[in-house]
Amino acid sequence: MSSVIENELKQLIIDSLDLEDISVEDIDSKEVLFNEGLGLDSIDALELGLAIRKKYNVRIDAEKDDVEKIFSSIVLLASFIESEQAK
Amino acid sequence: MQQQSFIIQSWSVWPPLSTEKEMVAQSEKELLQAVPKMFKRRLSPLAKTVFCAALSCETETSKLPIIFSSTHGELAKSLAIMEAIEAGEEVSPTLFSLSVHNAIAGLFSIAFNNKNQITVLAASEEGMASAFIEALGLFQEGEKELLLIFYDEPLPGFFPSKPYQVSAETCAIALKLTVAGEGQKISFKQASDSARESEQPIQILQFIEFLSDPSLQQLKIKTPRHSWYWGKDEY
Repeated sequence: MSSVIENELKQLIIDSLDLEDISVEDIDSKEVLFNEGLGLDSIDALELGLAIRKKYNVRIDAEKDDVEKIFSSIVLLASFIESEQAK
Repeated sequence: MQQQSFIIQSWSVWPPLSTEKEMVAQSEKELLQAVPKMFKRRLSPLAKTVFCAALSCETETSKLPIIFSSTHGELAKSLAIMEAIEAGEEVSPTLFSLSVHNAIAGLFSIAFNNKNQITVLAASEEGMASAFIEALGLFQEGEKELLLIFYDEPLPGFFPSKPYQVSAETCAIALKLTVAGEGQKISFKQASDSARESEQPIQILQFIEFLSDPSLQQLKIKTPRHSWYWGKDEY
């Protein structure tokens, strides 16, 4: 159901984080994004936060949101964005 | 300053002298296979140039202290940040993290797990000499060998440079210096005559010519406060 936004997010990650050799199909929606799994780091988290703000007008607030959980996989990131947009 | 001496055990220039462009691209690819994939995406063309100069000079870089010297660093990135701010855009965190003067050194140390002392100098009017003085200081402290890397890329057109000679094509030179053993013995001294001739980007080219041309025994570079001599010692 949310696969459209999931694929969008995968493309956003590839474009904003310069993952030249990786395609949308290579990223598993349930895969861990940071450290293990895809292997993104803290700079990537900031960059991705900025890209999400620009594309979806959704702000991830490190003070009040559970950032670690939101960024843990594409599935969780997509559901966070959808719930924020529904507000 | 007394005359000092040291040995250049090996040196390497990137892009290599008199090599075809396609060949350079191919050997760059091969050399950078040593860099973890997720790391490679953060390397700018200048960073790749620096990595290649270092890796073709010395494969075991993780064991050496390193001194980097650059006049402008990656000034184009700072300019891009300022332009983004001017346009009212948010600044890319990645761009910011890679815009600082020690960004390439930081990437290099993480990529090759180098935990030795790493210094990054912003070569000013003195140019290349400052990094040699830093190297002599490390030898004085007991280091036996180290890597010295000079790099610069063209100054973005936005910055006025005339009448100073501060911009040349992208180039990096890596030197492995030691205090004893095999290699080209070099003497290094300071003299008092001065002139505003050039800064590091131009000096790199002079230094390469000095090292690669057997007929050149001495290199003299005048700066606004001193002049510096490098000489090839025979024994």
